[in-house]
Amino acid sequence: MKYFVKKIITLIMTLFLVSVAAFLAFQVIPGDVVTSILGTEAPPEREEQLREELGLNKPPVVRYMRWASGVIKGDFGRSYRYSKNMNEMMPVKELIGDKLPVTLWLAALSLILIVLVSIPLGVLWARSTNRFVDAALNCITQVSMAVPSFFLGVLVTYLFGIVFHLFAPGGYISYHDNFKGFLGYLLFPALSIAIPKIAMTARFLRNSMLTEMKSDYVRTAYSKGCSKRRVMYGHVLRNAMMPVVTFLGMIIAEIVAGSIVVEQVFGLPGIGRLLISSINTRDFPVTEILILYITFVVIFVYFLVDILYRVIDPRISEK
Amino acid sequence: MIKIENLSVAFDGTEVVKNVNLEITDGEILGIVGESGSGKSVTALTLMGLVSETAEVTSGRIVVDDCVLREAGKPVDKKLYRTMQGDNMSMIFQEPMTSLNPTQKVGKQVGEMLKLHTVLTKEEIKAKVLETFEAVGLRNPELVYNCYPHQLSGGMRQRVMIAMAVILHPDLVVADEPTTALDVSIQNQIVALLKDINTKENNSMIFITHDLNLARRICDRVAVMKDGRIVELGATEDIFLRPQESYTKNLMEAVPSRLKRRVSAMKNADNKEPIVQVKDLSVFYEDRGSNPFAKKVRKCIVKNATFDIYKGESLGLVGESGCGKTTLSKAILGMNMITTGEVIQTTVRPQMIFQDPYSSLNPSKTIGWLLQEPLRARGILDPSQKMTKADMEAAAYEMLKRVGLEEKYFTRKPSQLSGGQRQRISIGQALITRPGLIVADEPVSALDVTVQAQIMELMQNLQQEMELSYLFISHDINVVYKMCDRIMVMKEGQILEIGETEEIFAHPQNEYTQTLFRDSL
Amino acid sequence: MKKSSIWKNKYLLIGLFMTGLCLLLGILGLFWTPYEPTKISAAERFVGPSLKHLFGTDNFGRDIFSRVMKGLSATIVIGTSVVLFSATMGILLGALTGYFGGIVDEIVMRITDALNGFPSILLALVLISIFGNGKQNVILALGLVFIPSYVRIVRSEFIRLRDADFIKRARLMGVSKVRILFVHILPNIFSVFWVSVMIGFNNAILAESGMSYLGIGVQPPDASLGKMLSDAQGYLQRAPWFALSSGLTIVWLVLGFALLSEGVQRMNNN
Repeated sequence: MKYFVKKIITLIMTLFLVSVAAFLAFQVIPGDVVTSILGTEAPPEREEQLREELGLNKPPVVRYMRWASGVIKGDFGRSYRYSKNMNEMMPVKELIGDKLPVTLWLAALSLILIVLVSIPLGVLWARSTNRFVDAALNCITQVSMAVPSFFLGVLVTYLFGIVFHLFAPGGYISYHDNFKGFLGYLLFPALSIAIPKIAMTARFLRNSMLTEMKSDYVRTAYSKGCSKRRVMYGHVLRNAMMPVVTFLGMIIAEIVAGSIVVEQVFGLPGIGRLLISSINTRDFPVTEILILYITFVVIFVYFLVDILYRVIDPRISEK
Repeated sequence: MIKIENLSVAFDGTEVVKNVNLEITDGEILGIVGESGSGKSVTALTLMGLVSETAEVTSGRIVVDDCVLREAGKPVDKKLYRTMQGDNMSMIFQEPMTSLNPTQKVGKQVGEMLKLHTVLTKEEIKAKVLETFEAVGLRNPELVYNCYPHQLSGGMRQRVMIAMAVILHPDLVVADEPTTALDVSIQNQIVALLKDINTKENNSMIFITHDLNLARRICDRVAVMKDGRIVELGATEDIFLRPQESYTKNLMEAVPSRLKRRVSAMKNADNKEPIVQVKDLSVFYEDRGSNPFAKKVRKCIVKNATFDIYKGESLGLVGESGCGKTTLSKAILGMNMITTGEVIQTTVRPQMIFQDPYSSLNPSKTIGWLLQEPLRARGILDPSQKMTKADMEAAAYEMLKRVGLEEKYFTRKPSQLSGGQRQRISIGQALITRPGLIVADEPVSALDVTVQAQIMELMQNLQQEMELSYLFISHDINVVYKMCDRIMVMKEGQILEIGETEEIFAHPQNEYTQTLFRDSL
Repeated sequence: MKKSSIWKNKYLLIGLFMTGLCLLLGILGLFWTPYEPTKISAAERFVGPSLKHLFGTDNFGRDIFSRVMKGLSATIVIGTSVVLFSATMGILLGALTGYFGGIVDEIVMRITDALNGFPSILLALVLISIFGNGKQNVILALGLVFIPSYVRIVRSEFIRLRDADFIKRARLMGVSKVRILFVHILPNIFSVFWVSVMIGFNNAILAESGMSYLGIGVQPPDASLGKMLSDAQGYLQRAPWFALSSGLTIVWLVLGFALLSEGVQRMNNN
């Protein structure tokens, strides 16, 4: 219980620090936002008016407080670039709203693929005594790890889209219209994210299992008369999974990052594309919120991994 | 009845076990002794069918009760082995912490034995495990049953391992250095337990150890192994008192024992000039635990120590692990400690020799560089003592000779040296600036018996030549007896007793000293 | 290390060959390319790979092989600068915090831990959005982003070694702190450090090409493999070699460094 309280306090502290850093980085350091919105030709009265509107004439601390209290209340600020109608700037919340599910589904689908394929693959690989299988898997995984996800996306598009016609490249189906079609389309970007990570995780699990196989308790298990199968599944697997859980946690952070790139390849309207365009157009309120959001996801995932780790490893929960 | 006939085992074509013949009968404890690399563990692991798959049996066979378990030239019958392992023969390993699965409750791990070899129900298994826990002296078996290995002490873990090994009443129990990782007092309890089990069950036991004094206490017969061969085999007392082979004789000679006569290396025993005076020294340790904001907690590790170290003498410091021996020695050397009291030194920069010869020397440097570094460091600290390159090199060569190594080692790296040779370099490095005092923290504990004897001899010779003083820390009472002129006994941070070696062994005053000496006999 | 065992280390050999080839082409590309990489030729649009144009030509009729060479030069320059910068900073920070510990170490550690968990390309994007586009800024951003990974490795090695017996003995001999740090400890971490440098090259290459694929960082007219790939994507059906040549070059380079790091690791273990 004390552990949870401690963890949650750390989580809040980190978010606070990141928000301060993001605010400083995006609202205080980079030049004059007003000129970047209105251009250099605008009349001074209009500039002054906008400055007032955006609250830019207040000291940074006040601006941060105002912004942060807004975020807590669910008001994420307004975009500098997108407008709702001619005179009103688009609230960031609305901008993110329908893009979020795309990214989340993409990440979830990738993760499911990774876990479902890599764990059985790693275990079977560790068990296999066939030298040919070993060499082949070694080669395949080594190469797959070297393919960056955006190039893999291009390859998947070419192979499954253009050569085999399994999906229409660029023909994104919205989840509002057809959820099944949406998932079907997402499968290909998810594959592009998952394949290198599957290779990495499978290798990692295999190596972890082979290392565990050399440990003393395995010898003890054999001395009891356990078969290799029993030793593998009854003793080794759980111990070998512990580093893999941490590894998967780190991968989740990379999936989120990977999805940003892959969204671009497949033309998915997720928050990744929004982030890129907001960076390119210096739309700082949007960038800021997205950074904060991604930080939250990453920290939360680590939190979950930490809990999972405690469930698997009895040695930690003691302390 | 277990027979090992003409067994040879090879790894990658090199034989590590050569033509070994052994017969073990019911109710006897057979000791296999030998130095590291003698093939004693490989023999036992081959017998148990646990040797790695890269090992090849090149000759002979293993027969258990007229059933041929393994034979040269034939593939291992893993199925047959699996029925025998645990049920007919079982094994106890050296390191009980790593030998138990860290993520499984110990009750379940012991119960797995029954699950594999019997048809008992879950409840019956648990009852039987609890009963066996009780029998091996685990108090509160119900509690232990639900513990993970890390929640138990070293002695308890080894009892769990023993429970696992005897729960099916096997005909043979193989114990591979079962007490080496434990403290002296626990060691004795475990040895007594094993002996007790052997008498009750009337089974056979193979007891593998490098500790000859221990083998002498527990075994009925002893086989001495060297380089994969059995050099000598016979009744324990015969081997120890009337060894036939020259190797065995040398080995027995090398064993430190307080039954042998002691030769002091102190030059003039009457001239008691103190080089270190410790007055009312207390050493503290501050810790804030894992929380960086918590207040530091101050713990007292050494309490009010007062003693002198005389010029040219060797002062022994004994006590169990965690009693504060190492902390006290570090405080004398002035290594970052919070202390009260006084340490007055008349010697410059005393040096230290550590237990592990592998981590004592910087692996990225050559021996020559290592031997010169203390001189360089002294030159930087005090420019008046600066030496020329040629002088330093000459001094290093001279020291190399002094510690008994040839000149060719000058350009080698520590990884190319054996453990004993590295310890010689450590000693040379410590002595090259001619300090009056050397603190030696278990300097021979990681070495094989014969090497141990050589290093002790070297240390005594150097002590005489250079009129050195040693503060000699060891858990091994026999080693301390051989090396030291006076002995200091520590417990829980306090010095209990200090006196002349012969005197303190003959008439230990303190009760703790008495048990410590008795346990180590 | 014996000579024969280096020859038996296939990972090291293949890795050396693959990275060596790229390095050669990249350095050559700084001074000479078979064709002028920016020369547009309407007559030679989308010519498939041939002896004349090894990797074919692109939508403007430019020679792709020459452009790949230019891209490689840029990647190698950026990768090397990033690794040099972040590794040097990593060694200094890691050595000092690892050896001395204390409150500074605690703070540096918390920060590096937090940053290590964060996807590196994302951090680089954020920094670029602050610094602005351009080659120098990419180097600076990536250099900063990768410092924590080196700090962590160097720090843990220094922590492991600062309590080693041979360091305790060096202290007793009166060796100065600076000498202990850089003469006694540092040489012992190189075997581990080289592996992380190889991996660092890979991460730098992947991040740089990913960013330029997204159109952030290196800007035209500076050549870049990632940008080429994103240009090629539109012509996948018409000229698949366009996308493949730039993409496979990245894979080749990354695989080379991966094999190299694996090879070095194996060499260390022997």
